[in-house]
Parts: sequence; C-alpha cells; structure tokens
Amino acid sequence: MDNPDQLNIQLSKEERDILQGAKGSVLQKVMKTVVLYGEALGAEQLVDIEGQGHLVIPWSIPGISPPIDMLEELVDAGLRTKHPFTLDPYPPLDFSNLNLDPEVESAILEMHSKQDRYDELMMQLGLRDEDAYTCNPYQPEVGNIPKQDAILAWSESACAIFANSVLGARTIRNGAIMDLLLNIVGKTPLTGLLTDEGRKANWLVEIEMENLPDPQLLGTAIGLTIQSGVPYLSGLDRFLNNDLDETTMDYLNEMGAMLATYSAVSLFHVENITPEAVDSGKDLLTPDYRKYVFNAGEFENIRTSFSVLWDDPKAKPEKCYIGCPHLSLKQIYWWADRIESEITSHKRDRLAVETILFAAPQTLQVFQDDETTYQRTLDAGVSFSSACCETIFETRLIDGNLIVTNSNKLRAYTSARFFTDEDLVKVLVSGGVDGRV
Amino acid sequence: MGECEVSSTFEGRAVLPGNLEGEALVTQVGFNAYASFYNSLHENVVSAECADSGNKELFGKRLDGKIICLPYTIGSTSAGAVWQRISRLGVAPKAMLFSQPIDSLAAGGLIVNDIWAGRRIVTIDQLGESFLQVVKSGDKIIIEEDGTVIID
Repeated sequence: MDNPDQLNIQLSKEERDILQGAKGSVLQKVMKTVVLYGEALGAEQLVDIEGQGHLVIPWSIPGISPPIDMLEELVDAGLRTKHPFTLDPYPPLDFSNLNLDPEVESAILEMHSKQDRYDELMMQLGLRDEDAYTCNPYQPEVGNIPKQDAILAWSESACAIFANSVLGARTIRNGAIMDLLLNIVGKTPLTGLLTDEGRKANWLVEIEMENLPDPQLLGTAIGLTIQSGVPYLSGLDRFLNNDLDETTMDYLNEMGAMLATYSAVSLFHVENITPEAVDSGKDLLTPDYRKYVFNAGEFENIRTSFSVLWDDPKAKPEKCYIGCPHLSLKQIYWWADRIESEITSHKRDRLAVETILFAAPQTLQVFQDDETTYQRTLDAGVSFSSACCETIFETRLIDGNLIVTNSNKLRAYTSARFFTDEDLVKVLVSGGVDGRV
Repeated sequence: MGECEVSSTFEGRAVLPGNLEGEALVTQVGFNAYASFYNSLHENVVSAECADSGNKELFGKRLDGKIICLPYTIGSTSAGAVWQRISRLGVAPKAMLFSQPIDSLAAGGLIVNDIWAGRRIVTIDQLGESFLQVVKSGDKIIIEEDGTVIID
C-alpha cells in the first residue's frame, strides 16, 4: 500500500501525493483507508463526492461509532468533510419524552457520557447544524435531498437504499467510520452501485397481490429471499402513484428500510415509479435474472414467521415505539388521525398503551406548530421524540420488555414485537395483543 | 480463483493477508455483523456469542477466535464500527473467509479496523461457491499469506 504503483486502482497525482504523506500523516492514513477500500471493491478509480453526506454515527457509544480518540486525531489534524453532513437520530437523552425507568436513564447517561464532546467533534468535522439528526433526512423539512445521479458516500442502510432507489442518486452501501473518512477525502470508489452496470437488476420480483401489501412485510420478504443484488419490482404501480407523491415515497422508504435490514441490497427499482425504472423499464434486467413471486401465500408466510421474544406472548404491551425509520409529517398525521378515530369509535379517552412517535426534529416542529392537532394527540396518550428508539435497547436493561412496534427493523435487533399499522392501532386502543377492544 | 484440483484447497484473494490456523464456523446465509455482535460491544465482555436470532446456523455460538466462513455480510451499516470495537475488546474472529467478492460493508469495517486499530482480522474473499459447499463448522482451516485456504 505504500507504493501506489502496486495497486490496481488508478490514482490521480493529488491522490498519490496524499497517499505518500504530502498533506500530513493523518490525511495520509485517511487516504490509505479509502484507497484500500477502493482496491478491495475492485474500483478503477476514486471519483468526487457531489453532495451532502448522511452518516450512521451520531452516538458516542463505542462499537457503534468511531472511537473518540480517532475523532480527536482527525480534528487535531484540521480535517473536515468536503460537504456538510446529516447524522442518524440523536441518542435517547430526551428523557422527558421517553418515560424510562431511572436505572435505564442512568445506563443511557453512562453509555453517552462523552456525548457532549462527541457532538462538538461532529460539528468540527462538518455536521450541517445542531439539529441535523434523523434517519429520514430527505424529508422536505430536513432538506438533505440528493439530486438524481449525484455521487454520494452515504451510510445508514435505510438511507442509502432510499437515496439510490427513489432519488436516483449513487452511493455504495458504506459502513460506519468509512462513511466519515470518504467524506473527508471527498472521494469514493467508482464501483458497484456508482456504475450503470452495477445498477442493473438481477432479480425480477413480481407482486401478485389483490391489495397493496404492507411495506414492512414486503421489504422483509424480498430481503430474506434474495439476500443480495438488485431487485426490479413489478406490480406495485397498480397501487401506488407513479409521480412519487408523499404516500409513495413513504411506502418505498419503509419497504426499502426493511429490505436493507434483511439483506445486502442497497438499490431496488420499481416499475413505472422509481427514476431509472421509468427511464428504462425492464431493460434494467440482466439477461440471467432470477424471479421471485410475492403473493398471498408469501405474505402469510412472512407475517407469521417472527418469533415472539416475550416470556408471556399474551402479556399486555407496556409501550409502543413508532418511527423506525423516523416518520414523515404525513405519517405523523396518519397516526394522529387513526388513533383519534379509533379511540372515539370505542368510546375511550386515550390509548391503553403508552405510545411514542419518533421523527426528525424539524418534522416534529411543523407538527407541533399545528397546536390543535398536536394537543389532541398528546391528550390521546401519545408522546413525541426525535431520538433513535433502537438505541434504548442497547442498555440491555429493557430486553424482554413488553414493547410493540410497527417496525420490523426494530424487531430484528430487539425484543420488540411487530404488528402491521392497522393491527397496531387496535392493540394500542385495546391494550391487548389480540386487539380486541 | 476458487476451488483447485485438490478439493480441500481453495485459492482466494487476500484482502487482508496473513498466515494462521483455526476452527471454521460456517454460515450459508448473509452474516449480519451488527446483530451478531450486538451483545459483545460492551466493556468486560470475555467472549462473543452470536446474538443474531435470525441466523439459525450461528445463533448462540461463539464467534471470537473462530474463522467465519460466509458468502457476504448483511444488515445495519453500524456494523462498520463493530469490527474495530470487538478487536479492541479481544473478542474478534481470527479470520473472515468470503465465498463471494467482499461486500462494501464488510470491506470498510475490516479495513478501518486494520489501519486505525492496528489489529488484523485476516480476510480472504472470492473463494468460490464450492468453498461453502465443502467447509463445515468445526473443520480445521489453514490460511496462507497468498490467499490459499486449506480445509485440513
């Protein structure tokens, strides 16, 4: 690696100079990491990053984010990203919204004991602003919306797959820490999903359903079935608008997040809906593509396949977390309306299960500005947070707690129990997992 | 690259080369590094039991010190930071042997660990589909500097 002439990847003179230490030892180490990454992925060269980043490293918890000493080293060397970046949701330190046991709060504080310094370092490294924390950064209120064909270096599997698929931007599925280093260099390997060839679909997924399937279950089923590659979905345009309106965007955001959770997939095409599928249709399929049919049988198989990790599967839920990934404004209103109508129709005053909706700070602010609806939702027993609900589980103190969710991503990493949206509304009003009021 | 004439010897690409021997632990499905090491990221861990309940082959088995044989990795991109952490805690696998070209998520995490933590997890990729058909958990594996993998 010390001799650029031994690499297959072709480097510019500037890149070679940096690799040989011309701009300091720390940037040299950053460039070495990036170049070896490109070499491992078979990239021909590095290319410039063309837009803001989105990184998966908001928490100071060791093992999930870069070590503090590494960040200090980068900052001490005067390095920062070429473009500003947004981060995944902030740690669950907004205790007034979360109603946690004192021992859980203590554990969270202990886990994030260096969060203040971590936040300072992130600002110095290029964080866009102090509220730039969400896993739904392309919401209009947040505004990190990449342009089609823009070269990026994003992480957070849910965000990378959305940027690639729905927005038509181009990013490799980068991991934590590498995401930061790529954006500091301002370059990313030209390979895989950055190339036209790498964006071809090697799976045709035919959706043969009479109604629009739950996006969480569809994404999970596709991910578990195909595991890697690029799927081309046909049949969804019977149910979704092809102008990428809010409903379609939200559906594809949820579906994609689940698909990425259960596989190595970071790009999908949807016939007549996503940009490249609109432009090229089935020409995106490779000659040797494989086929997967998602029908009512598959739907039922996946719906009933999840283990319940509670000691008593019939126990009454204690809490509900909704918003993994973070909700859009339209989704918050859907939950507010649906909860209100359900408790009204069953002559209840409020939900039987303590419920928290999670969304970006900017999105929540817009909802809170609608004071009447906001207050009515609070009165129904709903709280709001901009934190990451999954991080609460990392204390290991709520394993097995009776938490329900509509996120099959949260379920994948925790003991939370999954219900589809409509089933969950009934659970929340009834207080029982059978949903009977 | 792929299987040689001797059925127990495979030629891969040495992404992070090294010479070592160890015991194979095999998954035929994508390895979710974040879910697998979810319980092994905290101070005072002494071993790393696979916490990924979705992986029927590995769930509950010790990953530390093993040679993990896999097609590719899947799941959360937080996994990128996991490798450096488990290395620093001393509960990392000895090596990762990929049947397919290494995926970006695994490559990033393993290379960052190598350069920034200075602790190598030997990594070989492109061993071919037949490698995963032949290797079994518990097999003794010999890895050579040039990417040769021998199932003893």
